[in-house]
This record gives sequence, structure tokens and C-alpha cells, in this order.
Amino acid sequence: MKNKRKLPKIRMSELVPFIAFIVLLAFFSIGTKGKMLSSYSLKMLVEQSILTIISGCGVLFVVAQGSIDLTVGVNVALSGVIAMHVAQSTGIGWLMVPAALLIGLLLGLLNGFIVSKCHVPSFTLSIAMLIGVRGIVNYIQTIIGVEYVPASMQFITSSGFRIAAFAVIAVVMAYLFEFTKIGRYSRAIGENETTARYVGVPVDRMKILVFALSGLTAGFGALFSMATVGGTTQTMGVFLEMKVAMSVFFGGVLVTGGSSAKFYKIILGALSITIIVYGLSLMGMSDSHISQSVEGGLLLLILFITLLTNRRQKARKEPDVPAAGETEQA
Amino acid sequence: MSGEVILEIRGLNKHFGPTYANKNIDFTLRRGEVHGLIGENGSGKSTLLSQIAGLYRSDSGEMQVNGKTYDPHSPLDANAHGISMVMQELGVIGSLPTGVNVFLGRTGRFAKGGIVDLREMNRAAAAVFEKWGLNMPPLNKLTENMIIEDRKMIELARALSIDPEILLLDEVTQSLSLNNRRNLYDLIARYKDMNRSVIVITHDIEEMIRITDTITVLRDGEVVGQVNSAETDPDQIRMMMVGRRISGDYYRDDKTADCGGEAVLSVRDLSIPGELEDVSFDVHAGEILGFCGLSDAGIHSVGKAVFGLISGSGTVHFLPTDVNITSAPQALANHIGYIPKDRDREALMIHASIRDNSVLPSVNELRAAMGLLPPGKVSGMAESIRRRFSVKSTGIMQSMNALSGGNKQKVNLGRWLAKDLRLLILDCPTRGVDVGVKAAIYALMKEAKKNGIAMILISDELTEVLGMADRLLVMKDGRITKEIRRDEDFTEQSVIGVMI
Repeated sequence: MKNKRKLPKIRMSELVPFIAFIVLLAFFSIGTKGKMLSSYSLKMLVEQSILTIISGCGVLFVVAQGSIDLTVGVNVALSGVIAMHVAQSTGIGWLMVPAALLIGLLLGLLNGFIVSKCHVPSFTLSIAMLIGVRGIVNYIQTIIGVEYVPASMQFITSSGFRIAAFAVIAVVMAYLFEFTKIGRYSRAIGENETTARYVGVPVDRMKILVFALSGLTAGFGALFSMATVGGTTQTMGVFLEMKVAMSVFFGGVLVTGGSSAKFYKIILGALSITIIVYGLSLMGMSDSHISQSVEGGLLLLILFITLLTNRRQKARKEPDVPAAGETEQA
Repeated sequence: MSGEVILEIRGLNKHFGPTYANKNIDFTLRRGEVHGLIGENGSGKSTLLSQIAGLYRSDSGEMQVNGKTYDPHSPLDANAHGISMVMQELGVIGSLPTGVNVFLGRTGRFAKGGIVDLREMNRAAAAVFEKWGLNMPPLNKLTENMIIEDRKMIELARALSIDPEILLLDEVTQSLSLNNRRNLYDLIARYKDMNRSVIVITHDIEEMIRITDTITVLRDGEVVGQVNSAETDPDQIRMMMVGRRISGDYYRDDKTADCGGEAVLSVRDLSIPGELEDVSFDVHAGEILGFCGLSDAGIHSVGKAVFGLISGSGTVHFLPTDVNITSAPQALANHIGYIPKDRDREALMIHASIRDNSVLPSVNELRAAMGLLPPGKVSGMAESIRRRFSVKSTGIMQSMNALSGGNKQKVNLGRWLAKDLRLLILDCPTRGVDVGVKAAIYALMKEAKKNGIAMILISDELTEVLGMADRLLVMKDGRITKEIRRDEDFTEQSVIGVMI
């Protein structure tokens, strides 16, 4: 008891994502006879996770508030396609950076505005956007086709640059999430929106802000996506919103958000998801149908375990409370 | 008490893990008796009622109803024995309407060919409200959008719908305003007349003495004594509850209306359709301004409007910074604090830690360069609140829902008093806390008064407002109908006269 720096009690539900990660890594390391741990594979693992994390770190703020943003994929496609076209048609390569960020931000702002001012549930809005914006992207692409990163911007395709840029963005976002008012207020809104309102948190403004942030990181995601592939593609951002959402929930963030939202969780979740996808293809299940269904099955299993441990904990907590003789409450 | 014994309890025990919630409880209830259970938080009164109502199985001991062994395995089983309970925690299902909530779990009897006849059920529900003189909320409205009071009425109707011989009421009055309380008192009196029995738990000692025949006092899970309500007084009960004499200055002991400080807030012609009409008043530094009224009088809306949560026409002018308050963030920035009535749903993040709850109103003050909320400062602030307001807990990381009602309220009040406040709005600040914490809250209010903080005290408990306020504004139908100063005719009679 005298030990002041006593470690905080670790809950089982907090451990599940870590255990899942280690088990997955071990499983695929054995299953691929060690190929999973080769330096090439590890590098691939990191690179593939980066895109999910960058595109998703804004979503984490939204989920912390108890909402969801499933527009990441289409936002990446829209801002990417337009930004690249701006760079190509003006001949000024660097313009793609502000263009992508601006488009991403604007779409995010629109989402935030609709959710907070028109009181449309974020899930419903996401689904509508998912369909509508994808249609717009497809239309644009039928006109301008696929474009490539201009020569003046080729440096962004080097993995060294991408990892460095990733590190900077991740640190800034983690800082915002864990150590500033934005993160704290967002978690408070997820815990209890009425409480947040009644304490004087500007709830509507915070909602718009996090959706805008999520749009901005989708803009970064677009740049990373194009840097990885070398240009735009027809399938840009397809299924990315799901990967992001899975990473967040797989990492142990509850759908209701609140205090369960932590920045490290999205990193952990993204790595786990990538291990599954990459591991399966290394094991020779390149047939995407099989690999996808195995993916889905594994996800379900782990989410189930996470939920189960959470529920157990709650169940254990309830009778404990009167035991302390302290639960008589209003 | 001469009636025959209806419920007899001998040596009842209940423990959760190694801790005893109830130790060797002996208890006797007679027909036509209104029996009060009183004790501090954690003294085991709710546990005892829950055992009688079939929510908890007893570990040992015996209960007899009408001389027959009684060991209910579920609330429905208890119902079958003519016993039903209104719980302290809100027990209505938000996504269901009033009618269904009244017959929750028993809708089957309205079923025709597998389909519940809603009209028939609503008629039956309305009959229950009618029979017992309870105010009926709209039958088809979802309960999640209702105020606590209406939801409590539904629970009461549900308990009464089985026509119980023994009615168990756990902290029902604290959620009700005066008119509904009176309805409940009438109901209890009728029960007595019908030679049926009621067991009541309430934290309001004066009320308990008034409405019961017998009072059993519990402390730490044991019965410490039983008194005849007609022959006792609040001081004796308080002493039995805590085991020592509570010092005399529970409420304020002065009779002066001290409104001498300069005005802090000036509300003019505030009108909100359906809630407030032409409300105007000033609050001064170091003054406690009380508000009381019946359930639809609008006293709670005053608090919300001053904190910028609802708005209408008229102005809420905050004088120290010369701004009109129109939003809650603005109120927060102008050193105004607000303690809402529904602590668990409106004030606290019940699943978050003491730390996160403690610092929430002070996030702006904690900010350092680059928007950083230094973790050391955050924890330090939470720790100082926990210590200064002696919150019984294991540490700042403990989850809020592990605390007792009183300790939750200490965090709730403490986090505002830890700030540099100019005005604090308190809406039923002692709702559901025991005498010990109540005394602590009043002491804190007196200290805040000394420090020149202006306070608006909104309360359903008249004794509390009369005990603490410098001035009292009585409201009716959204209007202020009377102002009474502490040095004038400051009595319950004079207030109730204008309230109704």
C-alpha cells in the first residue's frame, strides 16, 4: 500500500485485445512456418496497418462520443480522386495535399452538421453517405479515369516517408485524444450526453468538430492510400470503413464509446485485423472467398469474447456493490 | 398497535460475499400498520425490503406471512402472497408506454389469441390510477421521455395493480413534489383504513414520523431499536441512526435574511411556453434564494433556464461579467455551477471514474500550453476533491457506480465547489442522501454562503428550503406568486397556503 506508483488494476476485458493479438501472431507464425515473422512480412504488416490507423484515428473520436462514422472509405475515395485530379490538371503536384485534406474536411463537416443539427443518427447518415458518395466517385472516375501520383510528388511513395508521416500524425492525434479537452469532452459525451450538456460541454460543437476531424484524417488516408498504390484506383477505399470500425471495436472500444475509448486500442485492433488478412494469404488461402469468411468468423469470435468478458465483469460487479454496503442510492 | 400480525420475521440474514447486509433481523408487521424503516445509507433497509419482496433470497432466518412460512423466490411469487414493492431505483422500461409498464410481466391476461388487447389493458391501467387517486401520465406515451415523478407514479400503479395486502415503498416520496406526496399520504391512510399494511423507507425524518405508526431504526444491517411514531422526535431518531447526537445546527440557526451582497444575477420577464411565465428575480452574492412549488410550478425549469439549458423570451443577465446567459457552455465559462435534480441520469457519468467525473466542469481551467490537460494536474484535482469532501472510496479511479448515493453527491457538489464559482444552482441537492451527508451538504452551503457565492436552492422539501434560504420564492403554474423573507413569516403553513 505504501507503494505510490501502484499499477492500476487491469481488467480482463482490457486484456482480451492484447491476448487476441498475441494469439493471432503466434497462430499465424506457426501456421506459416515462421514466414509471418520475416522482416518482409513484418514490414508489410506495419504498412498495411498504417492506412487503417491513419484513416481511422478520427473515427475513434466519433466512436468515443457514442456515434459512428462509416464514411471513411468513400471519403478517402472522393478526396483522393479529386485531389489527384487537381494536381494533374493544374500541373502543380503539391496541391494534392491541401486538396485532399480540404475535401475530406468538408465532407466531415457536412456529416457533423447533419448529425448534430438535424439529429440524424450517425449510423443512418453513414449508410446514406456510403451509397451516395460512392455513386459520385464512380461517376467522376468514369470521366477522368485512373490517375497516377505526379513525378514531383513521387517521394511520398517511399515507405520511409510514409512511416515517418504516420508517426507524426499518430502522435498528434493520440495527444489530442488522450490529453486535451477534445478527447475528454468526447469521452464524456459517450458516457452520458445529458450529463455533458448539463455540465456545460458544448455538445453540438463537439460533434461537428469530431466529424470534421474524422473527415480530415480520411483526407490523410486518401494521401496514404495513393502513396501506397502509386495513384488512384477503381476500388479506392472500398471496405476501408469496415476495416476501421473493426479495428476500433476489435481493439476493445465499446460501441457506446466513453471511457472505453483509448488511442492504443485502434493501433492494436488494426494490427490484429491485418495479421488475420495477411496471415491467411500467407497460408495460401489466397482464394479471397475462403479468406474473407475465415476473417469474418475470427472477428466474430473475438468480439464475442470481448463482450463476454465485459458482461462477466458487470455481472460480478453488481452483487459486489451492496457488499461494500454502499449502494443505497437515490 | 392492536391488529393481528401479518408479517413476522425472525433472525433474517443476508450477506454479499463476506459483508453482512442484514444481521439477525427481527421484525413484526401488523394489519393496519404503517411501519417505517430508517437508517443511514448502507444500513440494510433496502436489502430487507428486497428480501420481503422476493428480489433477494435470504441466507438464513425465517419469514412468516399470516402464520405460514414465506420464502419468496421471485417478485412474482411475492405478488402471489399479496406483497408488492415500489423500488428506489427507477424500474420502468423506457421504450414501453405507461399502460404496458403498469402490467409489466402480466400482459398475458389481456391477450386474445396471442395478441394483447392494448385498449383493454389501458382501461385496466387507468382504473388503477383512478382507484388510488394517482396522477396519471398519458397511457400511450413512452416512459423514457417522462420526468421521474411520472415514472414513479407508474411504478406505484404497478405495485397497486395486484391489490397487495402489504405494500412496500422504498424512497418513493423523494422523487415527488408536494401535491403528489399528499396523494401518496392519502393513499397510505386509505391503506390503513382498509386494515392493510405498508412498510415505508424515507430519508425525510419529519415525514416518516408524520405518516407512520411505528419506526424501526437500522444501523449496519442490524435493528437498533423500534419506536412509536407518536412518542418520538427527529433528534431521537437521528441519534439512533448514527449512534451519537447530531449537533444542533443541522439547518441554519439564524433568522436573518442576509441578502446584503451585490446582485449577481438578474432575471427579467423570463417566459418559456408551458414552463415559465414572466419570471423576474435577483440573486445576490452570499444569498441563498429558495424556490418551491408543486410539481408543475416550474421551479426546476428556473434552474435549467438560468444555466442556459433551455431558453425563451426575457433575459438572464449575469452581472459580474455583464453578459446574458443563453447557453450552458456560456454559463460554465461565467463561473456558474449547476447541480441537476436527477443525479444519476443528468449529473454524473455513472460508469466513469471519480477522476473523470470530478474534473469535468474544470476542464477549461486545467488547460495548459497547447491545450494540454496535464495528467498530474487532472489526478491532483480529483484527489483533492476526494479528500476535501471526504468521499468514501478506494481511490480516484474507482467507478462512480460503486459509491453510495451520498458519496456520489459529494463528488457532484464538490467538483463545483472546487471551482471559483459566483453562482451555484442546486436542484434538490439532498435527494436520497442520508442525514450524515445531508448535514455535510448544508455545512458546505453555509461555507459557500460565507464565501460570497450566490445560490439558488430549488427543492421539493419545504423544510430544507425553510431551513437554508434567505428568501423564498413560491411558484405556481410557472409564475412567482409570493416572496417571503427569512425574517418574516417563514413557516411551512404560510408557504403551503400560497403554493396550492
